[in-house]
Amino acid sequence: MQVLKTKFHTGLLLFLLLCSWSMPAQTPPNREYQVKAAFLFNFAQFVEWPPAALPELSTPLVIGILGEDPFGSYLEAIISGEKINGHPLKVEHYRSLEEVKTCQILFLNITEPKKLGQVIASLKGRTILTVGDAPDFIQEGGMIRFFIGNNKIQFQINQEEAKSQRLIISSKLLRLAKTEGPGKK
Amino acid sequence: MLLINMAPSLFVRRALPILISILMPGWIFSQVSDSLLSIQKLKNLSLDELMNIEVISVSRQSEKLAEVASAIQVITNEDIQRSGATRLPEALQLVPNLQVAQAGSASWAITARGFNGAPISSLTLANKLLVNVDGRSIYNPLFGGVQWGVQNVLLEDINRIEVVSGPGGTLWGANAVNGIINIISKSSKETQGLYVSGAAGSFLQDFGGLRYGGHVDSNIFYRVYLQRYDQNSTDLANGLSNKDAWNMTQGGFRSDYYQSKRNTLTLEGDFSEGYYGTADPTKINSQDILARFAQVYSEKSNLSIQVYFDHDYRNSPSQLFNQDLKTFDLDFQHSFSLGNKQSIVWGGGYRLMNDYEGNSAYLSFIPASREIPIYSAFVQDGIELLPKLLKLTVGTKLLDDFYTGFDLQPSARLAWTKDEHQTIWAAVSQAVRTPSRWDEDALIPGIVVPTQSAKLEKVIAYELGYRLTPTPKLLVSFATFYNHYDNLFSLDYNLNTNPKTYFANDLLAETWGFEFSGNYQVMEKWRLRGGYTYLSENFWYANANVVPGTELLESNDPKNQITLQSILDLPRNFQFDVVGRYVDVLETKAVTILAPAYATFDVRLAHQFKQVEVALVGKNLAQSTHTEFGAAEIPRSIFAKITCRF
Repeated sequence: MQVLKTKFHTGLLLFLLLCSWSMPAQTPPNREYQVKAAFLFNFAQFVEWPPAALPELSTPLVIGILGEDPFGSYLEAIISGEKINGHPLKVEHYRSLEEVKTCQILFLNITEPKKLGQVIASLKGRTILTVGDAPDFIQEGGMIRFFIGNNKIQFQINQEEAKSQRLIISSKLLRLAKTEGPGKK
Repeated sequence: MLLINMAPSLFVRRALPILISILMPGWIFSQVSDSLLSIQKLKNLSLDELMNIEVISVSRQSEKLAEVASAIQVITNEDIQRSGATRLPEALQLVPNLQVAQAGSASWAITARGFNGAPISSLTLANKLLVNVDGRSIYNPLFGGVQWGVQNVLLEDINRIEVVSGPGGTLWGANAVNGIINIISKSSKETQGLYVSGAAGSFLQDFGGLRYGGHVDSNIFYRVYLQRYDQNSTDLANGLSNKDAWNMTQGGFRSDYYQSKRNTLTLEGDFSEGYYGTADPTKINSQDILARFAQVYSEKSNLSIQVYFDHDYRNSPSQLFNQDLKTFDLDFQHSFSLGNKQSIVWGGGYRLMNDYEGNSAYLSFIPASREIPIYSAFVQDGIELLPKLLKLTVGTKLLDDFYTGFDLQPSARLAWTKDEHQTIWAAVSQAVRTPSRWDEDALIPGIVVPTQSAKLEKVIAYELGYRLTPTPKLLVSFATFYNHYDNLFSLDYNLNTNPKTYFANDLLAETWGFEFSGNYQVMEKWRLRGGYTYLSENFWYANANVVPGTELLESNDPKNQITLQSILDLPRNFQFDVVGRYVDVLETKAVTILAPAYATFDVRLAHQFKQVEVALVGKNLAQSTHTEFGAAEIPRSIFAKITCRF
C-alpha cells in the first residue's frame, strides 16, 4: 500500500511537471493579442452593418475566428455581457472556411498569401468585416489589417473593400487608421 | 552519524548559495513577462488609448537581441522604480550578471564576469566593460573605465537597461571585453507630462527631480529635466568620516521629431555640475549633446547615423586625476536583408578624444595632452541555416587604435531555437581592450615612467547558454563561459633600472563561471526576479619579472553572488518591494579592498493615491554598516520619497 502511494505521488509529480512544460495551447494570449481582442470589440462599435445582416435585436453580432485561435479565452472575456446597439455579442471558432457561418466580423489567422486571397474572395457578398494581421492582408482584399508600429498596435483600413460589402466604417476609425503599414510595399 | 554532523558546516560554507538558487524557483532572469492586462480595464479603453499600449514588451525586444546568442539581461523601468534605487549604480545592482560594489559615497566598482580592479585615488580601475547612455559611450580613456560617481540619469525616464555579459566586440566596439551596459531612455513621446519628485533621508540626504514633457505638434515631442542629489559621507572602520559626501545638479533635454513613419530625428543633451568630498572637494562638470537620425524601412532594414560631443571636466587642487576630456564621435549603422536567409549589419565610426591631464607631483601623464583618434568598422551576418531553428551569426569588428594600430575582433555565434520555449546558444569570440593613458603615459615618481608600449589586452571567450520560457510567466536563463586572457596589464620589475618597476602586459588569466537568472510572475500581483552568479579566476605570469600580486590591480571579485527582487502589489494601492543581495568575500591580497561576505536587503513600501506616490525606503538594512569594496562603511539608511506624475 505504502509503495503504491509513493508510486502514485511520483507519478503525480511527473505528470504535473510534464503538464507545466508542454502546454502552449493553454497559455494565456500575449499582450499583443489581448490588445487586438479589445480592438475587435471596438470595431464592432465603429462599423455599421446593413440592416439585413442584423435583422432582429436578438440576432447576435458574431465575431468569428478562422484558423488557430490566438486570443485564448480573452476575446470571450472581453465581450461577455456586452451589447452593441442592443445586439448581444458572440464568439465563434471555425477550423476551416466551410465552417464559417453567419458572422459580422471574421478574424483570419491565415498567413499564406495565396490561401488568404482565396478565402477572402469566397467571403465576398456576405457583409463580413474581415480582419487579419498577415503582411499581405490588404493586398489580398482584407478590410482591416493590424500591424505593429513603434511597439504599438496600429491598423490600416481598406475602405473600398468595406464599401463594396456595404459596410460603413465610422470616421473615427478611419481617422485613426494608418494609410500604410510597414508590411506594405 | 559523523558524516551527518559534518555535513551542515560544509553545506553552509560552500553549497548553500548554490543550493538556494536551485531550490528557489523564481530567480533568475530579468525579462518582463507578458503580464496579463485586466480585462475590465482593457475593454473600457478608447481606441486612442488602445493604440497607445506598448505590446512589444522588453522581453520580446531582448529576445530579438537574444537571437544573436549572448547572455543578455534586461531590467526595466518598473524593476528600477520598484527597487528604491535613486542612482544609476544602484539600479545596476539589480542586474544579476553584474558585479557591483560600492567603494564610497559616490565611488563604485562595476564589472561583469570579474575584473574589478583596485581603486587608485577615488577611481576604480575596472576597465573591461563598455557603457553606453543612449548610444553615447561614457568610456574614459584615462583609465579605460567609467567614472560612476558622475554618471546620473533621471531614473524615471529610463526605458530599460540591457546588460550583455561576455564579449560584445563585434557590434559594440573596443573595451566590451567582459560586457556591455546599454542604458536606454524613453523617447520624449513616452515622457509627456509633469513629473516632480523629492526625497529626504539619512544617507541620501536629499534628492529632487523635475521633468516636463510636451509637444509642439503631433510629430515633435520634447522633455526637459533637472535633478539634484546631496549624499552624506561614508564612515571608516575607526569611526571617522571618510569625507566623501557629494552633491550634484544635472539637467538636460531630449527631443524627437517623427518626420515621417520612417524617419526619426533625435536630439538630446545634458549638463551636470557636482562637488565630491568634503575637504577640498573635487569639482566636476560635464556637458554632452547628441543627434541621431534613424530611418526604418522594416524590421530588418534600417539606417542610423549618430553624432555626439561630450565634455568632462574634473578638478581638485590636492587630488589625483584632474582631467579635461573632449570627445567627438560619429557613427553609422546600416542593416538589411540579403535574400531571405541572411541579415547583414554593418557600420563604422570615428572617435576623436582630446584629453588633458592636470599633472601633480605624485602622478602625471606624459604628454599632458593627447589627441586620440580611433577608427572602427564592423560587419555582421546573421544566417538562417534552418529557418526559425538554427541561426549562425558571424562578424568582426575592425579597429584602428591610436596606440596599438589595426586589430580584428571576430566572433561566431550559433543559436538553436528548439521551439518557442527554448533556445540554446553557443559562441566563440575575441575582444580587446585598448590601452588607456594610465597604461601608456603614467609617470609616478619612483615607481613607473611612461612605457608608451602598452599592448592590447585580449580575451578569447567560449560561451554556452540556454534560455527557457516554460510558461509566459517564467523565464529562465543560464549562461556559462570560459575566458582566456592574454597581455593583461601588470606591474613588472627590473632591478637594473631606475625606477625599478614598470607597467607591462605580462599577466595572463583564465576565468570560468556561470550566470543563472530568471523572472517569475508568481501571481498577478507578485513577481520575483533575480539570479545567481559564480566566478572562478586563475592568474599566472608570462615571465619572472612580474611583481607578485599584480593581479589585484586587475581583479577583486566575489566568487558567489545572489540577487533577488520581489515586487508585490498589495490591496488599496500599496506596494511592498524587497531587494536582497548576497555577495561572497572579496578574496584579495589587497587588504585595503578586502571585504568579508555580506548579505543585506532593501525594503520599499509605497502608496499610490491618484497622481501622488509616497514611498518609504530602507537600504542595506541587515547590518548597521558593511563594506563592499575597500574601507568605506556603507551604512544602513532610510529615506522618504514623494513623487507626483501629471
